[in-house]
Amino acid sequence: MNAPLSLFELNNLVREVVSTSLSMEYWVEAELSEIREVRGHCYMELVQKDLFSNTPVAKASAKCWKSRWMYIRPKFEQVTGQYLRSGMKVMLKVYADFHEAYGFSWIVTDINAEYTLGDMARKRMQIIAQLKKEGVFDLQKELSLPVFAQRIAVVSSENAAGLGDFMRQLTDNSYGFKFHVELFPAIMQGEGIENSVIAALNAINGRFEDFDAVVIIRGGGATSDMSGFDTLALAENVANFPLPIITGIGHERDESVLDMISHTRVKTPTAAAAFLLEHLEVVWHILVDAETEMVTIAQHRIETEKQRLLHVAEKIPVLFSLVKTRHENQLDKLLMNIISLINERFSSEKHNVMMLEEKLKSLVDVRLQNEKHHLLMLEQRVKALDPELLLSRGYSITLHNGRVVVDASILKTGDEVETKVRKGIFKSIIK
Amino acid sequence: MTETELKYEDALRQIEQIVEKLENNELDIDTMGEQLKTAKKLIRLCKDKLTKTDDEIKKILECQK
Repeated sequence: MNAPLSLFELNNLVREVVSTSLSMEYWVEAELSEIREVRGHCYMELVQKDLFSNTPVAKASAKCWKSRWMYIRPKFEQVTGQYLRSGMKVMLKVYADFHEAYGFSWIVTDINAEYTLGDMARKRMQIIAQLKKEGVFDLQKELSLPVFAQRIAVVSSENAAGLGDFMRQLTDNSYGFKFHVELFPAIMQGEGIENSVIAALNAINGRFEDFDAVVIIRGGGATSDMSGFDTLALAENVANFPLPIITGIGHERDESVLDMISHTRVKTPTAAAAFLLEHLEVVWHILVDAETEMVTIAQHRIETEKQRLLHVAEKIPVLFSLVKTRHENQLDKLLMNIISLINERFSSEKHNVMMLEEKLKSLVDVRLQNEKHHLLMLEQRVKALDPELLLSRGYSITLHNGRVVVDASILKTGDEVETKVRKGIFKSIIK
Repeated sequence: MTETELKYEDALRQIEQIVEKLENNELDIDTMGEQLKTAKKLIRLCKDKLTKTDDEIKKILECQK
């Protein structure tokens, strides 16, 4: 048995073996189970899980020194649009390193970003397949943006530059359109996206009648982590949302699941605002066209009516002269009527008077005749009563104080009376 | 009511009333002359109104043209 070696000597042996037998660089596929940055160096834990049981079948530590990491990281983020994070499938270019004090580690010199990208795409495909299976993939597309989409719920982080761009674009429009925008703040970066955005959507859903559309916007660099937008739960929430959702979460390379299922997908917050403006602009033009058409129709109608009136008006003098003639005839007839009635009345009255005159004449004659006869009778009676005649027959008349005495009792003794006889008068004294 | 205020229809009615009274022998001879004078005056008024309206219509329509 050899003399025991110190741990350093033994580890040194391992180091020599490793450096001689594993001198090449290898591409390795693995899942990141841990990743952290310390003083610019990157420390990772790699794992390979059993396909079925999900239990690890291999594990290893890996490091990327600051000098490489500062090149690799931006390149990866640029290609994938994501940060390296645990749970991600990665393909790393590594070489073996064994240090007497720190043990075995794979040193990372490069990362195949396209590999991760492919893996992400595959995950997206799975989510999409699931959404299609649930029958909700096209639900948002079936919604229609209201004609006057002016009440907008915005899901964004409060301080994002993109939100400012969106608001500016919407407010400073040349038409002077007014929008009512309400912000529902949410985390738009990293791990918290899913829960935060779902919470914001739930808040909007509670008052969905107050809004016409939802805009999910996120401003920022292309290197930001977008993976949070590619989760099944968030996709389901968006797909089943009762209002049209417009996404402007800014991703140049390819669509996130959210973009695919949303009602409308634009690239930037500014574009989201432009989309809303354009929509309203179309409506505005429809209104302007309708207004023009109405005016044209009204003018045409007025012109037609004017012509009709003129046409009618031309008939008025003729019609009125007919009325006038008729009335004049009526008046003439009335006058003739009056005159003839008056004449009739006059001649009838004249006749009456004439008749009366005739009647009067004959009546006067009769009367005169009567009177004449009466007079004659009276004359005869008078004649018969003449005192001269009585005197001549021997009768006498006795007068006392000039009055005829017919009653002897009124005479007293000594009264002187005068007696008239046919020839002469004699006086006598009463005894 | 003065003659300027009298409407055509009212004037016409008055004339007709005079005729009616004449027909029914309701007018006495003394007022007959007066009534005839009134009837003539009303007829004149009606005819004037007709002529005036005719002129007015023609004038109005000329203005529109």
